[in-house]
Amino acid sequence: MSSGKIIELRQVLDERFPRELPPPSSLLATGIDCLDRPLEGGLRRGSITQLVAPLPSCGSAAILHGLIESMQASSRFVALIDGKNSFEPLDTTNLLLWIRCKNVSQAIRAADLIIRDGNIVLSILDLKQNEARELRKVPATAWYRLQRVTAEFETTLLLITSYYISGSSIAALQINNPLRITDFAELSSTISQSRLIDFIYRKNHHAEPQYAQA
Amino acid sequence: MPKPKFFAVVHTPYFRLQCAQQKLVNAEIESNRQTDLPLFGEPATIPKTGDKIPSALLNDSQIIEANPAADAAGVSIGITPSLALARAPELQLYTPVVEQENQQQEALLQLCYRYSPFIENTAPGVCTLDLRGRKDQHQEWWARELLAQWRILGFTAQIGIGPNPELAEQAAKFANPYLAVNANSQLLRSLPLESLKPSHELLDILHNWGIRTLGELVRLPREDIGVRLGLEGLALWDRATGRSTKVLHHMQPPETFREAIDLEQRLETLEPLLFLLRRSLEHLTLRVEAVYRLVAEIRLLLLLDNEDTLERSLQIPAPTRDIAVLFRVLTQYLETVQTTAPVVGFVLEVFASNPGKHQFDLFQSGLKDPNRFFNTLARLAALVGNNRVGIPEKVATHRPDSVRMQWPAFDWMDKTSTQTKSPRIGPALRRYRPPIPATVELISGRPVRIQSPAVNGKINILSGPWHSSGDWWHTNHWEIQEWDIELAQGGLYRLTLSSGSWSISGGYD
Repeated sequence: MSSGKIIELRQVLDERFPRELPPPSSLLATGIDCLDRPLEGGLRRGSITQLVAPLPSCGSAAILHGLIESMQASSRFVALIDGKNSFEPLDTTNLLLWIRCKNVSQAIRAADLIIRDGNIVLSILDLKQNEARELRKVPATAWYRLQRVTAEFETTLLLITSYYISGSSIAALQINNPLRITDFAELSSTISQSRLIDFIYRKNHHAEPQYAQA
Repeated sequence: MPKPKFFAVVHTPYFRLQCAQQKLVNAEIESNRQTDLPLFGEPATIPKTGDKIPSALLNDSQIIEANPAADAAGVSIGITPSLALARAPELQLYTPVVEQENQQQEALLQLCYRYSPFIENTAPGVCTLDLRGRKDQHQEWWARELLAQWRILGFTAQIGIGPNPELAEQAAKFANPYLAVNANSQLLRSLPLESLKPSHELLDILHNWGIRTLGELVRLPREDIGVRLGLEGLALWDRATGRSTKVLHHMQPPETFREAIDLEQRLETLEPLLFLLRRSLEHLTLRVEAVYRLVAEIRLLLLLDNEDTLERSLQIPAPTRDIAVLFRVLTQYLETVQTTAPVVGFVLEVFASNPGKHQFDLFQSGLKDPNRFFNTLARLAALVGNNRVGIPEKVATHRPDSVRMQWPAFDWMDKTSTQTKSPRIGPALRRYRPPIPATVELISGRPVRIQSPAVNGKINILSGPWHSSGDWWHTNHWEIQEWDIELAQGGLYRLTLSSGSWSISGGYD
């Protein structure tokens, strides 16, 4: 079955069995409309959300900066675990903890430490610049463990990658529109807000088994 | 009508001997280091230095203090050690440890200061408290609490309470472990005259009269005592009746919290050292708690076998008295330490501070557990490197990629910049560190194609060059040209020409 048909099937199922919206307190509003809208309010606390940026220039760094600024504006701490040490700070950002890792393995261990700490509201694990072959070496158990600690410590983790990693997150969104050189004339906030983001995976939170009524 | 006065005396019997026994406890822990001593709580096999084993303190070839078991075996003060061992073969002999005595005396004063601001450093192991302002009904409760705290530090003591310091001290000597007496107490009346330590001449006269107890003395008329024995006799009579008016020399205990331990054996592994450090930390924290303060800094000095020392001050971001937090800081440091020789002693000192005042904004979410956060930071620094974790701070220069990592201070959340920033234009850059060297094909001085290990292709659109330079007054002056390019197959990049070499310094994303 092609991925297009799977997405279509999921849409049909969503329409037939509408999901309950999570309570607002369990969502962390990012302040970035193109992200909050599909996520129905924001990133889910206690879970991992994946943002897939498959194109070399599609605005994931713009979203990253927008997210940090938005969190800074509401006095929330953000930890950026930079998998390839590629973040370019634009200003002195007091509420940003930047962890400059050398590889994916180091980044995942750093993310584990940050999540277990429990002090940081939003952690961003940016693995966009890490090579796919490096990411594929990460065992599925590592992602599962990361999910478990995220849930246990009720922190929010946004994972940014260049391709979808199955089983790593509760929801995965993909940025679909590439940047053009004409975008250099746009405001950064406009660029981050105008990304076309679609779901490529969404875990059905209400998939508990339904038993027949007696 | 004046309020009745009450005084309390904490009396630590054979104090110097107990101090010397403390050293033995440490030595026993060291020798048990290979066994599975728990790091938390009291060890299952805490060395036996209690009252049941005859023990005595030896100085200048004389017994100067003995515990009740030694006393019962006939070991009296002033006898020689050979005679003492002949009387009690299982006798344990100790030598005084003056530094330990001074430390523990300070600790006693600090504990007592919690219960009264008017205290006197009466004698080694003895502290007198003026209890003005305290209510009678709570006396036993706090007295037992004080004894329990003193017990945690390893000392057995007694507390006596009386209407004057003299009576309180006498009561303390006979307390088990708490005794409150009044001036007419039968117990005091039965005490021998020696308990008030009169001069030998006076004692001989009274013994010749057949007077042997305080009760017998106070039955004699005061005037007649004055006529026959003079002022000294009157003073003794007054003390025996509890009428003495001894003036206390009030003092404030020093706010130094320090424990120095000289180890009997050389420690080569971390575990026994951690056990001893935790024990000392518990003692020091208890003393800090007694003065209603928090631990803000820990200073650890390790004494090594090759006479070298290793000193480190560890800051506690959010001052606390939580042993688990303080011990975690200490453990984390020690796990990274490699000494050049075995450890033969240590000095652990904590510095107290007042509880911090941190008022967050209504909408500001502070760190839930700052100590844990800074602990995590240290772990991250160990994982990725010291200069690779922190708050990014832009350096005041136009040189590309000029960023400095700042270690967050505890109040980093209060430093949120409020100045309005001008809106940024254009996409954000993902910087390649180091830049990727590239071969660039030029037509009329403008790049048309690039070739590099990461990015290759025909340049579709470009803008630039953007010139920048700086530090021309230095030998390390710099000058670059930058181009923003869009490749035919997609992707925006920053192309840099510096010192005649082309490189891709980042990708726009």
